[in-house]
Amino acid sequence: MSDTFDHSGLPEDELLAAEYALGVLAGVERTAAEQRVQRDRAFAQMVADWERRLAPWAAEIAEVVPPPQVWDHIVDALPAQAQGQSLWQSLAFWRGLTFAAGALAAACLAALIYLGPVTQQPPLVATIEGGGQRHFVATIDRKNGTVAVVPAAFSADATRVPELWLIPSDGRPRAVGLLRADASVTLTLPADLAAMAKDNAVLAVSLEPPGGSTTGLPTGPVIATGKLTSL
Amino acid sequence: MDLDANRSLIAAALGRISSGDRTALQTVYRLTSAKLFGVCLRILGTRSEAEDVLQEVYVTVWRKAADFDAGRASPMTWLIAIARNRSIDRLRASGQSRNMDPIDAAADVADSAESAESALAGAEQHVRLHGCLDGLAGHERAALRGAFFDGNTYEELAGRMKVPLGTMKSWIRRAMIKLKACLEQ
Repeated sequence: MSDTFDHSGLPEDELLAAEYALGVLAGVERTAAEQRVQRDRAFAQMVADWERRLAPWAAEIAEVVPPPQVWDHIVDALPAQAQGQSLWQSLAFWRGLTFAAGALAAACLAALIYLGPVTQQPPLVATIEGGGQRHFVATIDRKNGTVAVVPAAFSADATRVPELWLIPSDGRPRAVGLLRADASVTLTLPADLAAMAKDNAVLAVSLEPPGGSTTGLPTGPVIATGKLTSL
Repeated sequence: MDLDANRSLIAAALGRISSGDRTALQTVYRLTSAKLFGVCLRILGTRSEAEDVLQEVYVTVWRKAADFDAGRASPMTWLIAIARNRSIDRLRASGQSRNMDPIDAAADVADSAESAESALAGAEQHVRLHGCLDGLAGHERAALRGAFFDGNTYEELAGRMKVPLGTMKSWIRRAMIKLKACLEQ
């Protein structure tokens, strides 16, 4: 650009949007720009465009894992929870589960489809729900030591897989196996897990990296849970 | 963490937050808090302030998730802008930026090595931005860097680079015009 260059290359509004997105404004100028983003869609779009242009620069900033109490403070600062919503904000959740069985009819249906002939030990069923949706229906055949899990409204996730956990009365989750969003899965329960599969034990589903959690505990968010009930 | 690969995951979770799903906020937090904490820490300088502001950032995300339009913006762009703005608000409220060291424009050289490294990591947009930043004059790039990474105001930048305020405004505006032209080529 030449020495006689002036600012006529961009309209004043767009330069203001650039200055706001870059962050160089202060005082009343910054406040005014902020308020304009709220009420002027065209200006807000200009700011968003500048944010898009500049954001890749943040790739140069190293990631730093924040201390765990930050998340607790965030949860404390959120508005009080509406009734009926579920919150799995911490490991404390695993210990305090007291869920109603819920949607038993669907589970019974699933069990009948799966089981066919009546077995000596009645099967256990659970509807695994979260966020107001039924994600899976699980049926445990205690005689054969298997758990059959049918996806209901679970939507697939491109980068993570659903993993099933059994949480007996001690509150510690045990890994059962990986589930599928698009097909029923039958998993074998090892003898020690089969012994823990009783009324009121809980099944939970978390989202994990492909291959499942390698830590022995859920590493991703727990998206759904359900209590086991004898049929 | 590969944030690009997580883009659709973060966007979907942001969509669920507006219906009051706290698990979705936790998903966004798990996937993005290390990056955003880095951004806050870079601008604010101390961990305690950065932790405070990071908390504000995610409460803002909770309140404003409905404003996020996955069709128009990248989730990381949206989140980084919130983290930078909350951090800058904190600086402005306190009266001065944390980093006020003199800036030597001559020391700000175009850094193609960094670009090459980003290319390996597949951060195409970063490479592109870097290419355009490398095309700016050293003093322009140094001024933008102070604004973006240290949250400096026009006045603070003028002080750090020892030029009149009007000159600094002119440098930054000129640099932003060049940057836009280059990025849109």
